[in-house]
Parts: sequence; C-alpha cells; structure tokens
Amino acid sequence: MDGVRVGNRIIGAQSPVAVGWENVPRVEGGPVKRFVFTWFQPTLFFALIAFWYYAPNSIAKASTAIVIGLGLMVLLLALEWVNPRFKSWQLTWKEAVVDLFYVGLGFTVLRLIEGYIGDGAMIGAIQNAFEWEKLSWFTGLPLLVQAFLISFIFDFGQYWMHRGMHNWQPLWVIHAPHHYITQLNINKGAVGNPIELFLIGLGIGGFFDFLPRAALLAGTFGMAVSTYQHINVRFNTPRWWRFLFNTTEHHSVHHSQDYEASRSNYSGTWIIIDRMFGTCIDGEAELLGMEGGRKMSIRETMTFPFTEGWTSLKERFGRGRYGQAMPAAMTAEWPAE
Amino acid sequence: MNAGLVDWIWTVRGSVELAPGQTHEEAFDRLDPLFHTGGTSHQRTGDTLTFSKKAQAAQDKMSIFDGGVLRIEQGATGGVLRYRLTSRALLFCFLAPLLFLTFAGLTIAVGKLDKPAAEAAEKKKPEKKEVVRELNPVDKFLGAPAPEKPKKDDKKDEDEGPSPVPAYVFAGLFAVLYVVGRILEDRLIRRLFRKRLSDDLPDDRQAAV
Repeated sequence: MDGVRVGNRIIGAQSPVAVGWENVPRVEGGPVKRFVFTWFQPTLFFALIAFWYYAPNSIAKASTAIVIGLGLMVLLLALEWVNPRFKSWQLTWKEAVVDLFYVGLGFTVLRLIEGYIGDGAMIGAIQNAFEWEKLSWFTGLPLLVQAFLISFIFDFGQYWMHRGMHNWQPLWVIHAPHHYITQLNINKGAVGNPIELFLIGLGIGGFFDFLPRAALLAGTFGMAVSTYQHINVRFNTPRWWRFLFNTTEHHSVHHSQDYEASRSNYSGTWIIIDRMFGTCIDGEAELLGMEGGRKMSIRETMTFPFTEGWTSLKERFGRGRYGQAMPAAMTAEWPAE
Repeated sequence: MNAGLVDWIWTVRGSVELAPGQTHEEAFDRLDPLFHTGGTSHQRTGDTLTFSKKAQAAQDKMSIFDGGVLRIEQGATGGVLRYRLTSRALLFCFLAPLLFLTFAGLTIAVGKLDKPAAEAAEKKKPEKKEVVRELNPVDKFLGAPAPEKPKKDDKKDEDEGPSPVPAYVFAGLFAVLYVVGRILEDRLIRRLFRKRLSDDLPDDRQAAV
C-alpha cells in the first residue's frame, strides 16, 4: 500500500484510508432517500437550536434533554438499519448488548463516582478553598454566544486531553481499549475503560456561570453533532458542516487501523480545532481497530490500563537495569491513536 | 441439580434435517467456512464437529457462541444435524440485570450514608443572595423566554442525591434484551445452518450466507 501524502505524513500505508472528500462515497438510492440523508443533519440541528431557544421554561429542562436524547438514539439506530455506511459495521445483538453495557456503566456507577471526584466536585472544592464565586462574565452575552463558548471551551480541553492520550503512554494505556472497536455504531462512544470515560468528561465549564438555557443549547452541539462521530449511517454531510464539525468520516479515519491516520481528528465536536492545529484529515476508513482488528473483551477493557501499565513499567525498569535499548517490537506498540 | 435445567440460559440447542442422501461429510463440508473465521478452532471426528472461538470478530456470523458440538445423527427419515452451542454473551446478558440492580442498591446506600454530611454542609453554608439574571437585549428582541426567578424549592431538588432510577432502567433493558437475544440468536443460527446445508442455493450464494 502506497498511502497518500498529507502534509509531511503518509496516510493509509498500513491500512486503506480514503483521503479527500472526492473519494468518499455519496448516498445511493432514489431522490427521496438522497433528500432525507442530505438534509437530516442540518434540519435536526437547527430544529433543536430553535426548540431550546424558544421553549418555555417549564419545558427547557435537563429532563427534557434526556428524553430527546433517548428518542434520538432510537431514531438513529433505525437509520443505521435503513442506510448503513458500511455493511461490515452492521449492529448485531451481541454488539448492541456490549455497547449498552458501557452506556449503562456511564449512567450508573460512573455518575455516582463522578459526584465525588468529577470535574464538578473538583471545581466546587477549588471554589470553596479560595472562596471564589462562579465567573459570571458570560451570563450577559447572547444565548447562542454563551452556548458556543460552553461547547467550544469544553471541546478545546477535550482536544488536548485526547491528543495527550495519544502521545503520552500513561494516558494512552487508559484510552487504548476504545481503539479496539472495529466498527462505529451509535453507542460505541461509550465503549472503553471507565477511567478514560471519566478523564474525557473533565472540563472547566464549572468555573463559569451560564444561563441554564445556554447550557441546554450547548448540549445541542453534543447531541446533534458529536453523536455522529460513532454511527453507521451514510449521510451527504454539507460542506460547511464538515468544515466546522466532526463527522463520522473524520472519526473513522481516527479509528483506522492505519497508525498515521489514527493520529488525527482529535476533537469531539469542532473539527475546526484540528484544522487550527494541523491534525485534521478529511477522509474515511472502513477497517478500524488495533492489532489488525483484534476484538477486546469487556474483561480486558477493564484491566488493560493496569496490565499494560505494569508491563510498561517493567519494560522501563528492565531497560534501566540492564542497559538495553528498547526492542523494535515494543516501539511498534507505542500509542497508535 | 440437573445442568439441563439451567444451562438453557447460555446454551442453544437445535436440529436441522439434512437433504435426502446427504452424508455427514458433505454436510460438514458445507458448514466448514463457518469455522474458518478469526479466533475459531475446530475438529472433525467422524459424525461430530467440535469448535471453540476466542476474540471472535463482530461480524462473525457465530460471534455470540464461544464453543459447541455439532453431530449428524441418522433419523427415521434421513440425516439430522443436532447442535449444542454455548454463549457467554447470553449468560452475561442474563446476569446483567442483577449487576445493575446491585448498582441501584449501591446508589441508595451511598445516598443514605451521604445525607447527614450533605445536610451539615448545607447548614454551614452562608445564605447567598439569589441574583435575578436577565437576557441579553438581542435575545429579548428575538423573543427568547426570560430566565425564571430563582425558587426556594430548587435547592431541595438538587439535594436529593444520586438516583437509582437509571440502574433500574438498565436492569429492565438487559432483561428485555436477554429474551430478545435468546429467541433471535436461536432462530438465526438455525436459519444459518439450514441455508448452508440447503441444496437449493448456488455456490456463490452459499458463500454469501
């Protein structure tokens, strides 16, 4: 495989990656199908923005967002069935159960733990210690500006956390299990070691005071944009959207079995952050995963950071003690984003 | 205790009639591609085929099974394939509701333990003056509803602590998924074996099954 030069990197030398939008297939089928899968994403996005902007206070609540989120999940699962991007990513009963298990962990045990050591608890402790009030600079700004700031500031932090995970071994061993997924489906974002799910959820938003409606509007970016990172649906995503926002295409490149391709597209919502820092690759990959697509069990996903972390420590000690250079096989396992 | 009373939880049994005159060798030859997928090892001895799977790929048509025995028996009307397949995924899904009910119990226990400390912390906190926040003139012009004035009851809602409801919901979801999976996967594997053993399909369609 020759690969394609992108900047000073060769993409797709180890595993096929379609680089450039012109090489990404379009929605096939009749005019109705093409119309639906061209306009679905922007229509839903603007509809949700309008809903949260104008909904009465009695409706504009977090509980409504949860109900909409669940409804959207069911709808998107149906779309995966109707218009899959790749047949090789089709959801099976087993995949659905395993994915849902990780989603369940996030809604139960992780949420319980986060109440004590999550970003909210940490920021609360800092604010109490220094007797800081929340920074209320933003509450006077227009709602959509506040929403953009909440979303962008969080994603900016997430970008660097994610990029750090791909470039620093102690964080990589925590993030690596997520990269063993071999297909993208609606709940695959939750698959991974719980420590990673905790780390990736850390943000500094708690330091700021926002209007509740602005926070709900910001949630729309997560619901109507980030959701498409992991989904098996073929859309004709508008140009402006894929310039600004992360897409399934971008995220499939990030999950590619190709090492260089996987070191790209780190943001969760705003792909423009990757464009700012030169890590964006526009394209698509079908073959995903690590070690040639080896499946990782739930048990290994839970233990991997500890077993792999221990192995890395032993290797470090070994090198120091015996003065040997790191073997080639070991360097090959270095963060493969 | 008879294992058969409980092993239906993770074991799928069934049978498929062979085409008239089909030998066990021909039948196993037709099923053979199913056991050449990644992480699968198998052994054929006469009329019996045993297999085991490890780290099976997501799209492996038998991915939910970890092992099993297939045997060709001669019935009154001809050969019959009888199979007994075991699945850790089914067992896991069967037990998952118990795990989530445990999480619900844990959430309730933590909430109870935490309540006195939270109440004490609340008493210590000085009463803060609630600020009435206003919309930006742009939003007023566009007609967005103004923020509500802070209510005294709001604090009460916030202090209720972690809720066990999501854990109950997931326990229910996994119970439903188990029933669906136990019926669905039973049917899918029977259909897969029947299609592969069927004489009707040309070779290229057989390969696609």
